[in-house]
Amino acid sequence: MKFVPAFLVLLPFSLVAQDKAAAPAPAAAQSAPAAEPSPAPSAENWLAGSVDIGERWLSGVGGSLPTYRSVVNLGSGPKLLGADFTILDGKRRYFDRIRVRALDWGDQPYESLHVLAEKQDSYEFNADFRRVSYFNNLPSFADPLLTRGTALDEQSFDTRRTIGSFSLEVLPNSFISPFIGYDRDSSRGTGVTVFRTDADEFAVPATLRDSTDLFRGGFHMTGRLWHVTVEEGGNHYKTDQNTFTSTSLAPNPGNVTTPILGQTQGITSLLQDYGVRGSGNYTKVILTVTPTTWADVYGHFLFSEPQTSINYKQYDNGNFVLLSQALFYTSEQYLVSAAAKLPHTSGDLGWEIRPMRHVRVLQSWMTDRLHNASNAVQSGTFVAGTLGQSLAANYNSTDSTVIADAGKSIIVRGGYRYVWGDAFDTVLPAEGIPAVNHEFISRKVGMGGATWRPMHRFSLTGEFEIASSSGAYFRTSLFNYKKARMMARYQILDTLNLSADYSVLSNKDPNLSSAYKFLTHRESVSLSWNPAKRRYSFQGTYEHCGYHSQISFLVPSLLTPDLSVYNEYCHAVTALIHAAYGKLEVSGGGAVSLVSGSRPTAYYQPTARVSYAVTKNIGFFGEWRYYGLNEAFFLFESFRAQLLTAGLRYTR
Amino acid sequence: MLLKQAALGAPVAMLLLLATSATAGKPEPKKFGPEYAGSETCQACHEDIYKGIMASPHKVADHACESCHGPGADHAGSADASKIRNPLKLTAQQTDRTCLACHLNQTTHEGRIQSSHMRDSVSCTACHTIHGKGPVGLVPRRQEDVNALCGTCHSSVVAQFQKPFRHKVPENAMTCVDCHNPHGSSRAAMAQSFGANEPGCLNCHGDKRGPFTVEHAPVKYEGCATCHEPHGSANPRLLVRAEVRQVCLECHANLPGVTKNPNAGAVPPALHDLRSPRYQNCTVCHQKIHGSYIDRNFLK
Repeated sequence: MKFVPAFLVLLPFSLVAQDKAAAPAPAAAQSAPAAEPSPAPSAENWLAGSVDIGERWLSGVGGSLPTYRSVVNLGSGPKLLGADFTILDGKRRYFDRIRVRALDWGDQPYESLHVLAEKQDSYEFNADFRRVSYFNNLPSFADPLLTRGTALDEQSFDTRRTIGSFSLEVLPNSFISPFIGYDRDSSRGTGVTVFRTDADEFAVPATLRDSTDLFRGGFHMTGRLWHVTVEEGGNHYKTDQNTFTSTSLAPNPGNVTTPILGQTQGITSLLQDYGVRGSGNYTKVILTVTPTTWADVYGHFLFSEPQTSINYKQYDNGNFVLLSQALFYTSEQYLVSAAAKLPHTSGDLGWEIRPMRHVRVLQSWMTDRLHNASNAVQSGTFVAGTLGQSLAANYNSTDSTVIADAGKSIIVRGGYRYVWGDAFDTVLPAEGIPAVNHEFISRKVGMGGATWRPMHRFSLTGEFEIASSSGAYFRTSLFNYKKARMMARYQILDTLNLSADYSVLSNKDPNLSSAYKFLTHRESVSLSWNPAKRRYSFQGTYEHCGYHSQISFLVPSLLTPDLSVYNEYCHAVTALIHAAYGKLEVSGGGAVSLVSGSRPTAYYQPTARVSYAVTKNIGFFGEWRYYGLNEAFFLFESFRAQLLTAGLRYTR
Repeated sequence: MLLKQAALGAPVAMLLLLATSATAGKPEPKKFGPEYAGSETCQACHEDIYKGIMASPHKVADHACESCHGPGADHAGSADASKIRNPLKLTAQQTDRTCLACHLNQTTHEGRIQSSHMRDSVSCTACHTIHGKGPVGLVPRRQEDVNALCGTCHSSVVAQFQKPFRHKVPENAMTCVDCHNPHGSSRAAMAQSFGANEPGCLNCHGDKRGPFTVEHAPVKYEGCATCHEPHGSANPRLLVRAEVRQVCLECHANLPGVTKNPNAGAVPPALHDLRSPRYQNCTVCHQKIHGSYIDRNFLK
């Protein structure tokens, strides 16, 4: 994949070189706003688009650098900030057009490249490539040592994930359109994880590496009244987490420094190696049929069967204790060989019937059934035996809805959904805690809604669901719930749009007495103003939310009931004002998120941008961003940082 | 075994079935009578729209304008707006039927019947600018255009993404359609799938896929959203609670044989003294909480 950054670095130069030989850019390109160049070439212009290159400077991060990197992670240096261009082949020999979009390249936390190449009625090729840096090291997250003044997130990661997706469909719009695809998702990096013994945990370094390769192929068949897609795929998966530590100095004491029976625990060397290999095939069949003018039928059949095999090795040395036997030991070996298979079948069938001109009846049925079976053989210094799990979940749902035009401007709907299923989970051998769970889900849901559109400029949509259950898998699952939502849109003027959104969900499980209460609601309003000629524009959104959850639980050490209460009240504002004065464009705004309740947090992200069209093709831009995070309960995790970016945009 | 055989046999059977009906089902070109004027006639008065259509995929349709607007000869002859179909004056259902006359039998509409967009009368033209005018065109492609389009209606979701711990949608590193299929899906919240029928989250989080030797049941039964708020959260790791122990203990609160709560989730052993910081973040020890290849208690 090294060709990708090289290609992107060369791209701006090639565009400039091409421009010298090409015809002058159309006048419209000059007056177009710099922020929104049209990537569509005109008939005479075989190449059109823009490239942004620049330099970014990061101010010194005030506060917690690990938190800044976990949340923002933008750095300094030269960047290819964006590229968006289209190439047309006037003679249409090998392609009609190629469209390329690239975003944020140059050691950025998220880099993406998308290429679309197509030739009408011949082929369509899509390539999507992304690299994402995943850095997560929050001092407050998993740190038993924090009370001793040590900031060490014992579940932290510094990895880079690479995701590629490539697909080619030939003869699109034909009776039969074959397609093939390849997807790859891989990650590698380092982190801190924990090696746990019976009476202590030791933070140790880890190397992390995993990858999934997915190959797929199939065809679409499209008739006048039907369509079938058949897709077969297979994947190969592997993960190779590894932890290694060795010291000739003082042993790592772990999270427990208190001596046990006069002895202090510590680890001097460790090797853990997870060798996991997996594979799986899947089948997908999709069918749509229009048997008559008043009915459409939809159906899916989906089947996958991933499986894995595991070889785990562990060797550790130090001073450890096995509490159940009051046994101190200095070395341990632990080996596991395991396998798991998870066949997963899904299917659904539905139809839309239009018995009358203004009435539609929708009915659907679906089932989703997965069954995991696994077994493991363990052998080690203190363990020898087997481990196995059988997990099965069968989920079914049937749904009937009637939608009717109750007038020229009102559409109403009502329906009923029934959900049922069961889940079974057995882990053997039994080990103190219950090894068998068999749960049932049964839910009846009434649904309704209406859309009122008295004029083209205004619409109001409301919907609700009321559900009653006689079984659920978990204590926090949806049980007896009520859900409602209203959305309104009003185009006050041709250039002025107003929209509002309100949603609420309350849930209660009567089996948990009155202690369980769950309520969440969100209200938002959005305004968009785009006057003619785009000299000024404004977009803004305000949201208020409330979230309240209260549920009893048992304190493990005492088995006494306690109450888990979670509250969240948020205000979020996003706004962007844009103004253009001839060649100069200025915009400013940003976002503010204020959260109070169980974890009070304030997050500020103001930004300002200025751009100036120096010539017909070259423009300058500068951008300022500020990121500020403040957590009232975890002040040591707060940060503030400023980013300044300056660059050039080449447009043609 | 039976299911596996059915899965492998289904494509073969379908192929045989379709092969027999292929000739009968082959699309026939639509015939246009004298009531149709042709797109070039429309161009005379609607030059900008004509150019937009010709730069869009709809140019492949014969009589591109009249494929949606209906026969236009009367309108062209009289210049009377009432003599041609104006989609602005149609209901959402009527607008959709116009589009679905060509697009119903396509892969993108496989989940239409489960689509909340369809049920809430969000018509195709709410998202697609059919005439292809403007920088976005018929189908938004740039990440920022896709996210902006979804955000025009889902403004509360836009606000959720302003919280510090989030998927990188405001940065345009991701788009809404990476996780959701706006045309509909059989999964909840119109979510995308990985492979055939696995959660779409696994498209990027492949290391959480398994199958594991010991699965954590909520992950398989109710999905990632049991513990995570995928759009954005004030809590690290996009958790639904401020502290990890609350995420876990709200479910792990059942006493086997004693409690009347018919739910999964047993109380942890008594050694878990929540007063000690060692036990306040469960994932310090239960680090493989999404599923373990090795250990029944997700410790390694």
